[in-house]
Amino acid sequence: MTALEARPAQRPSAADTQPSRRRLRLPGGLGALPISVWMLLFFILPFGLVVWYSFGYKPGIYVTHANDILSMDRYGEAASPAFFAIFVRTLKIAVTGTVLCLAIAFPMAYWMAVKLAPKWRGVVLALVLIPYWTNFLVRTIGWQISLTPQGFVSKTLQWANLTDGPLHVLYTSAAVQLGVVYNYLPLMILPLYVALERLDPKLLEASRDLGGTAWNTLWHITVPLSAPGVTAGLLLVFVPLMGDYITPTVLGGASGSMVGQMVAAQFQSAQNWALGAAMAVLLMLAIFGTSAVVGGVLKVTGRVTTAMTSLKLPSKEPS
Amino acid sequence: MNQPQHIRVLVPEALKNSLTRRTFLGGTAALGAAAFLAACSKPSGGGGSSSDGLNIYTWGEYDDPAVLTDFTSAKGPKITLDSYGSNPEMIAKLSAAKGTTGYDICVPTHSSVQQMATGGLLTELDLAKLPNMKNLTAKVVNTPFDPGNKYSVCKDWGSTGYVYDTTVIKRELTSWVDFLDAAQKEASGSFSLLEDQSEVAYTYFWANGIDENTTDPGHIAAYRSFILDKIAPHVQAFESSTNASISSSARTLIHCWNGDARLGILANAEPDRYKWVWPSEGANLWQDNWAIVKGAPHEDAAYEFINYVLDPAVSLKELLYIGYNTGIEGIEEAARKADIKRPDLVFITDDIMKKLVYSQMNSADGTIIGIYDELKAAAGK
Amino acid sequence: MTVAAASARHRRRFRPADTFLTLWGLLGLAFLFFPIVVIVVFSFNSGRTLQSFDGVGMEAYVAALNNPAITNSITVSLITATGTAVVATLLGTSAGIALTRRPGWWAPGLLILLGLVMVTPEIVSAISLLPWFVTLGVDNGLVAFNIGQVRLIIANSLFASAVVTFIVRARMTGMNESLEEAAADLYAPPLRRFTDITLPLIRPAVISGALLAFTLSLDNTVVSSFVSVAGSTPWPVYIFASLKASLRPEIAAMSTLMLVLTLIVLGIAALILRRDPSGSGGGAAGLTSAMVGR
Repeated sequence: MTALEARPAQRPSAADTQPSRRRLRLPGGLGALPISVWMLLFFILPFGLVVWYSFGYKPGIYVTHANDILSMDRYGEAASPAFFAIFVRTLKIAVTGTVLCLAIAFPMAYWMAVKLAPKWRGVVLALVLIPYWTNFLVRTIGWQISLTPQGFVSKTLQWANLTDGPLHVLYTSAAVQLGVVYNYLPLMILPLYVALERLDPKLLEASRDLGGTAWNTLWHITVPLSAPGVTAGLLLVFVPLMGDYITPTVLGGASGSMVGQMVAAQFQSAQNWALGAAMAVLLMLAIFGTSAVVGGVLKVTGRVTTAMTSLKLPSKEPS
Repeated sequence: MNQPQHIRVLVPEALKNSLTRRTFLGGTAALGAAAFLAACSKPSGGGGSSSDGLNIYTWGEYDDPAVLTDFTSAKGPKITLDSYGSNPEMIAKLSAAKGTTGYDICVPTHSSVQQMATGGLLTELDLAKLPNMKNLTAKVVNTPFDPGNKYSVCKDWGSTGYVYDTTVIKRELTSWVDFLDAAQKEASGSFSLLEDQSEVAYTYFWANGIDENTTDPGHIAAYRSFILDKIAPHVQAFESSTNASISSSARTLIHCWNGDARLGILANAEPDRYKWVWPSEGANLWQDNWAIVKGAPHEDAAYEFINYVLDPAVSLKELLYIGYNTGIEGIEEAARKADIKRPDLVFITDDIMKKLVYSQMNSADGTIIGIYDELKAAAGK
Repeated sequence: MTVAAASARHRRRFRPADTFLTLWGLLGLAFLFFPIVVIVVFSFNSGRTLQSFDGVGMEAYVAALNNPAITNSITVSLITATGTAVVATLLGTSAGIALTRRPGWWAPGLLILLGLVMVTPEIVSAISLLPWFVTLGVDNGLVAFNIGQVRLIIANSLFASAVVTFIVRARMTGMNESLEEAAADLYAPPLRRFTDITLPLIRPAVISGALLAFTLSLDNTVVSSFVSVAGSTPWPVYIFASLKASLRPEIAAMSTLMLVLTLIVLGIAALILRRDPSGSGGGAAGLTSAMVGR
């Protein structure tokens, strides 16, 4: 807003007029060098190795991989009906989980950011953060204990006559769905909260003063303005969910198994690194693909909605 | 960002900041000191090359905890246990890490010993350091799968069968045919298979009168279509360490090994609820062995431990806990004298022994493992 | 004042919706705490297995604290987390500053790379790091990569340093350079500018970044279970391994203790952040905005 802020980053001019003082002029990007080297060594190269393995094959029962003959056959195997079904199942669980998280988190974040008195916000935010700070695995085990057929939840439901017979939810896809929604809920609440908190209450007032109902205010003001938070939340939930390994292992049993476990099995018992690598690459592509598609759809819908519903108000400030 | 904030920042912040910066640095230092102290207070903590430790990579719940603590008090090294559910899992871990796993002892089943030896995963044993080997019966030493005990020493041997919940399954099950049948009917959605690729295959082969070590592609294809079409939708879990499920009555039908069944049944609040079955057609016979991993950081401790458990008194303690025959000469009489519970699950009678067959590693293994992966992918859909 | 009066007016008009929202919020909180409460309750289980509640007592706590495997794994986890926090903070802070103040041709590439690190599933990292560590450590003789602690810190630092970079960058983007320029005009050398002006101003971001790196590392299970070396088993990997064999109440007991530790650390962080006036809202909100403000 001031000229100072608007000026782009420059090296301080004072240094140029210093007489002959030996100044160590380090190249600008030096600070980024350590992390770049680190990532190159421990992320890019290993991942490149994985991609390299995915073009190989398994030469014999007792050898893990070989790359003397390159082919795309492992990708064909990974996309075979048996394994492809797991990709589809994982995608289903991930998409359903993300949507459910959004549905549960939005009213919660709205309540926290808009309806709650400011003095309570810190406390409630801390309460949301505490489960997030608890160990992921331990939280999931908490559900495993609760949902066992001989557990207290099952016994309570039976006593209340809500189910006939012990609870048979554990070790099914439903349990995994519940588990992932639970585990990633804070990751959806937090960005939504931040976005909604930045919402100016005056805008909501203005909307009401102009005769808008609660629904109108919600759909035309609140939701569009919280869009960046929604996008952040969707990404933060969907991406790790697709690769989740722990929740299906703890809650899924045989069914509800997801791609993460499939990839792990290739490395941990089947010793078929080529196939495992191909599956891993396909998983990454699936994540990117879905994010890109959804991102594109949201962007288009956003533009369309804005075009349809926006008003150009006369503005006194420079845009 | 509004105007007043900038001005506020400029003025006395410089003073306030240096104080709080010091607090921040102090806080980090305190945290670092705490972690450092924590590390120092545990002499064997942190580093991978502690001189007084022993890392054992074994099956789940496969040793009496009392025996392990007794070893530590008698000889010194503290023992850490890590577990796996199947031989391929153990082999995969050891071969992927090429000697850097940090494990000293592993427990391969007899059928894997040669493969592991050829793959350079096991150290050749110096039998002079294992004088207690003389206590083992002739049957379990110098075996066809490891002549001269170059790489392995018998830990125990046993067989495979299953348990079922008699309160849910009212009829009597006696064979593998019954097992596969109940899996599709009363126990659907509530039964588990061992995490072992070959064991799962053997249930089909035995039920259909096929040699468990078959390499006939026709048999294997038949197994594949059966297991994927008929059994996969009913599986609830793949589990090798089954005693917890048995003791908590978690499932109706559980594919398991005899010692685990005994542990589970004895720990169950209703000991008669689960019935163990020695299947009538016969079953797999296996021997688990102690072996020393190549690149073991504590080889001497490993030899000491193996020698320690081959002592008849210690071996008896192990047997009374894990419920598997440890192969020591005269162990059966000693166990019965010690009033062992459920000896019928530990000591296999001759008429059952006649029907048991040692598993072998053969050319069909790769296919069997592949079918198992497909089973896991298709399970419980 | 107008806002308060206006919202009072709104409260009267939209009461049913408000009650619904409050109820939803409270139920959501209950949902979030449900398994944690279960774990804490079951930590007082004096039975043999975790699942079957067999009497109340503190035996699990005593057993946990006396179990060398458990205490060792906690130590390993804490050391790894501290190491990760240090590495990630160093790498991330310098990168974040460089990205904001002196971005060059490399900046978009680095941002994409860091973004890629954050969207890579843990399982993919795990399967790529283990063969790599083995190649480096065994085939190439770089013995350092065979040490469990080293492997764990490296593995955890990847995601953590990306997170710290984004947090610091977000914080610095919102800051204009006028202060640093003023210091330069006053003939302060670059290092002094950095330590006396830049660093204190980004202090909340660095603290929240370090904290986040610490807690993320404590939580890391999948990658750790693939690359860990026996004898340096971190806590979550220990639990994961027990999952296959049998879960005991000691695990719930130790988890409750770790939860208390995390709360204490969080409390300290909130206290440090509260004294910083340029954070928005209270300490917790400041932490959140720093976390998510990318």
